[in-house]
Amino acid sequence: MKVLVVAERKDGEVRRVTLEMAARAASFGEVEVVAVKGERYSPLTHGAAVADRAADADLVLVGATLNGRDLAARVAAKLGRAYAADCTDVRVGDGLTVDRPMYAGKVRATARLPLPAVASVRPGAWTLPAGAAAPAIAEIDPAADDGRLRFVRFEPTASGGKRVSLAEARVVVSAGRGLKGPENWKIVEDLADALGAATGASRAVTDAGWRPNEEQVGQTGKTVTPDLYVALGISGAIQHLAGMTSSKVIVAVNKDPDADIFKIADYGVVGDLFEFVPAFTDALKRVRGT
Amino acid sequence: MKFLVCLKQVPDSTVRVKVGGDRRSIAAEGITWSISPYDEYAIELALERKDADASTVVSVVTVGPARSRDALRQALAMGCDDATLVTSEADLSALDVAKALAAVVNEAKPDVVLCGKQASDDDQGLVGPALAEALGWPHVGMLTKLVPGASGLELWREVEGGHEVWSAAPPVVALVHKSEKEPRYPSLPGIMKAKRKEIPEKDLASCGVTPGAPRPEVALMDLPPQRGQGKVWKLDGDAKGVAEQVAKALREEAKVV
Ligand SMILES: Cc1cc2nc3c(=O)[nH]c(=O)nc-3n(C[C@H](O)[C@H](O)[C@H](O)COP(=O)(O)OP(=O)(O)OC[C@H]3O[C@@H](n4cnc5c(N)ncnc54)[C@H](O)[C@@H]3O)c2cc1C
Ligand SMILES: Nc1ncnc2c1ncn2[C@@H]1O[C@H](COP(=O)(O)O)[C@@H](O)[C@H]1O
Repeated sequence: MKVLVVAERKDGEVRRVTLEMAARAASFGEVEVVAVKGERYSPLTHGAAVADRAADADLVLVGATLNGRDLAARVAAKLGRAYAADCTDVRVGDGLTVDRPMYAGKVRATARLPLPAVASVRPGAWTLPAGAAAPAIAEIDPAADDGRLRFVRFEPTASGGKRVSLAEARVVVSAGRGLKGPENWKIVEDLADALGAATGASRAVTDAGWRPNEEQVGQTGKTVTPDLYVALGISGAIQHLAGMTSSKVIVAVNKDPDADIFKIADYGVVGDLFEFVPAFTDALKRVRGT
Repeated sequence: MKFLVCLKQVPDSTVRVKVGGDRRSIAAEGITWSISPYDEYAIELALERKDADASTVVSVVTVGPARSRDALRQALAMGCDDATLVTSEADLSALDVAKALAAVVNEAKPDVVLCGKQASDDDQGLVGPALAEALGWPHVGMLTKLVPGASGLELWREVEGGHEVWSAAPPVVALVHKSEKEPRYPSLPGIMKAKRKEIPEKDLASCGVTPGAPRPEVALMDLPPQRGQGKVWKLDGDAKGVAEQVAKALREEAKVV
């Protein structure tokens, strides 16, 4: 069994999901880890380069990040191979067996794929063994650029801070329309800082432009599975739940005792979030001794 | 400019899906069908171009069972110009769907093909890149905005921390993540007009597709574990005390902080 793991870097550092895949794939067979040179991902030049290198691989693993999912799909199409996106587990033996969400995250499915195959693996799906050695990475050249796609510029999101990325975070603090307006976001950030968390939002919040799109959690946003998800002033619409209901522990704060979010919360606080959140932030700092 | 939007009919986002008796698919009862959410955004992005320039043509296509005709009708009622149905009752491999769509593209010759970033039934995000691959075109994912620029189209794609702006000389495939405005509702005149429009039908054979490309086969479906009602506190004026108790529970009981 030959496994090709496609590495991804962020700010020059190899992403954790790459290490997670390389470590797990070692139990599948012979592993090669490759990274495409150059700092900006392009589906054309990167897709062709990876597909070329993957010609004799039985399995191609790519991290299910934004660019990783894009790349994995194009590579699978180029090679005409079976593909499974956003897997939470991949097992080898008599073909390939994967676990992955379906129906916008409302369903968990186990699927079988014939080999050779391509899979994208969700960051955090596999825990990185303590002391796992960093894999050797072979740098490959992107395919020749024929100029049909040209990168013009980067437009940073005004409020985009330097936080942990939502998809990889172990703790997520999300807020909804109950926050009343973007000017109140500070209390969400303070709580997130106290927890070392990423911040998320309901679609009501991203649609209103209070927060950037990329923070939206749910059916048309991100699916997150952190150890702790804190929902502040979020009603718990089915489309929001689809993105976070598999979190390990859920805390909800809402002034409406009948809010649907309480049906799935492990710890619920009925009351005004503006009263509770600052006190909660202080209490957390105390119990964590920070 | 000519747009072709590829759409898929999926269970409406408000449907509480249940697993069927075979435990490999969802139960058919009680499902209402809608255009997949990202495809609705794609329609909105294309129609916004048409609002800006009346010479723009927006076509839609789907590969699916007879019921998908309703989704096409919905798109026409939103303001799309014409629709094509490629009928297939079988659940196809994404690579076969892409091949069928490529045949429609080659006939319609659009400048821009829009797909959703993923369909909210299989959650795969494969058909768009596979269609681009079948056509030999470039694709741009995570599209949130599309504007004519100095040298071709400016395609905005959402990435961590902002947007990358790419310029593409058509033809190009783009995979839509979001539109700036909410997808529009069909207008009453739009609905009337859509009712009268003919929707031509094709079959897979006429698209040159013999199904059989490799794909995942679902072996088992499950719902995420039911979460029980948890512990609930009422603030009752004692935010500090409750905060203390919740923090303690997270630390000592749940062990997540
Ligand atoms: C196709 C489709 C896709 C969708 N995708 C998504 C998605 O990906 N993600 C998503 O989130 N939504 C999505 N939605 C929207 C979803 O249906 C809801 O409209 C949305 O989640 C509501 O956001 P909210 O909970 O912030 O707002 P609301 O439903 O308005 O809830 C606000 C809550 O705040 C509480 N509140 C108000 N003031 C306070 C206070 N002072 N203290 C405490 N609590 C307070 C209220 O009791 C209420 O429960 C989608 C919808 C559709 C149709
Ligand atoms: N059967 C289909 N007919 C037309 N377009 C489709 C079909 N299936 C998928 N698509 C398009 O491809 C996108 C991604 O779908 P998927 O790869 O199934 O997640 C969808 O959002 C649609 O735009």
